[in-house]
Amino acid sequence: MLVVDGLDAGYGDLQVLHNVDLQVDEGEYVAIVGPNGAGKSTVMKSVFGLTTYMGGRIEFQGREISGLRPEDIITHGIGYVPQNDNIFSSLSVRENLEMGAYILDEVPEDAIAEVFNRFPILEERQDQTVGSMSGGQQQMVAMGRALMLDPDLLLLDEPSAGLAPDLVEDMFDRVDAINDDDTAVLIVEQNAKEALRRCDRGYVLVQGENRYEDDGDALLADEQVRRDFLGG
Amino acid sequence: MGDVTDFTWEQWFGVLLLAGVGVLILDLLRRLAVGDLGASTLTTFLWRGLVDGLIVGLAAVGLSMTYSILRFANFSHGDLVTTGAFSGWTAVWVIGGLGAADLGSRLLLNADRSTSARALDVHVYAEPLAIVAGLVIAALVTILVALAIDRLVYRRMRDSGGIPLLIASVGVALVLRYLIVFLYGERTRGVVRSSPSIDHPLLFWTDGVVVHELIMVGSAVVLMVGLHVLLQYTKLGTAMRAMADNRDLALITGIPTERVILATWVIGAGLTGVAGYLIVLEQETLNFNTGWFLLLLIFAAVILGGIGSIYGAITGGLIIGLADNVMLVWISGDLTRVAAFMLMILILIFRPQGLFGGVETA
Repeated sequence: MLVVDGLDAGYGDLQVLHNVDLQVDEGEYVAIVGPNGAGKSTVMKSVFGLTTYMGGRIEFQGREISGLRPEDIITHGIGYVPQNDNIFSSLSVRENLEMGAYILDEVPEDAIAEVFNRFPILEERQDQTVGSMSGGQQQMVAMGRALMLDPDLLLLDEPSAGLAPDLVEDMFDRVDAINDDDTAVLIVEQNAKEALRRCDRGYVLVQGENRYEDDGDALLADEQVRRDFLGG
Repeated sequence: MGDVTDFTWEQWFGVLLLAGVGVLILDLLRRLAVGDLGASTLTTFLWRGLVDGLIVGLAAVGLSMTYSILRFANFSHGDLVTTGAFSGWTAVWVIGGLGAADLGSRLLLNADRSTSARALDVHVYAEPLAIVAGLVIAALVTILVALAIDRLVYRRMRDSGGIPLLIASVGVALVLRYLIVFLYGERTRGVVRSSPSIDHPLLFWTDGVVVHELIMVGSAVVLMVGLHVLLQYTKLGTAMRAMADNRDLALITGIPTERVILATWVIGAGLTGVAGYLIVLEQETLNFNTGWFLLLLIFAAVILGGIGSIYGAITGGLIIGLADNVMLVWISGDLTRVAAFMLMILILIFRPQGLFGGVETA
């Protein structure tokens, strides 16, 4: 479904990614792990058109999307939850969700109902200002917003960052649930062990290049990967 | 919250400020009771404060909106006020003065000194249609000027940060102002006749209410309520608040940011032009500095309320207007503005984010 082939990308003149290959199949759950500064988030931003495109190819469902702008890419069925500042904090829960479907003429009540169904606490608090909610609930709002257009692929950039440790497990459970409903997930995580345990396949990215690619469990079991990237 | 000893400086300041206001209100009541201060004098001060406050507030809303969406302090805002005033009143003179003076003189608002507001009989009873048309034209021309400036200057600098944009806006302010001087000249001229007033002892507390002020207050309130409804209950309004809140996220959510910016200019500049027009309706004269002199008060209102919040801007305008007038009870006229700005400075020191700070409402 998503095919990244020999991608070079970066910011302005600075090239961060060198010849990165990546693939996500229909309904698959793929994790990108690797040390800080490896360019994990940059891969994700590049798919979403937020970096300077320098070469290679990004295809989604057979159509080339490299070099497109984010407002075009959402119409192709990709949802994106950035790592930071991923909510409109002064808006209510409901308004955040409505903005997620801005490109539609009508507010899709069924999509809102689906998000409320997935995260019942949000229905209870739909008129509350998101900035006044807990980190875990804000994370739900951010995911809910990205799910409003019912994307085929959800990009999650470090969803566990900034969450209290006891909430991280819940967050991963929520991602599993989203993936169980046939939405493919591409996740970037610092919490590499947990991400690899949960995902179908993983990529280890080092210095802007693919280093390893395998099933999540296989990567977890790999001596070299464990020693170099997962802290033993 | 918590023990008294836990108060932060900010909270202490709030307590002191409220206590001070409380003492002043008690003193007002005492003066009213012993007859030092006539009830009609006080209501006149309050009414004047409301009129001044709404003028400043309406003009401040536009500045606050462009700040929250475009992230820069627009120093040409005062000259947009002037643009609205000149264009609106030119329309009134052209439409209302038909036959009373030649077109050239009316087009340039009597730059040749061959006629006068008296000769044209410009006031609301004599020229109701022209007055309404002027208000609409003031909004339209100001919107067009603001959009042209955005297209020519600000759009090219969208991502260059607040300071370069601010400096560019100072340049724009000077260009606008001296274009107005080039067309209309530097002279201060009266463009409106004294307003008729309604005397009605049962309806109104004072001797009579000036009709032009009534129109001004009514228009300002209607526009502010309209803006509130737009921001809170429409898709565009929500998108404006979303973009003020988090521009990057708005972009990746698919909100058409350039279109929101366009809407911001249309609404912000429209309100600003109307504010300029109404100011002149109320004060009856104008010159090329009308808006520039007002800009300081506008900034004060915006800062007082918390920059970026339109409700803060309205509140800030009202506080400044009321303080400026009600202070006359205790201090002489020359010093009331000192009091108003002292208040602003105090708030800046103890609550730098402004009264509504931290809550941006587009």
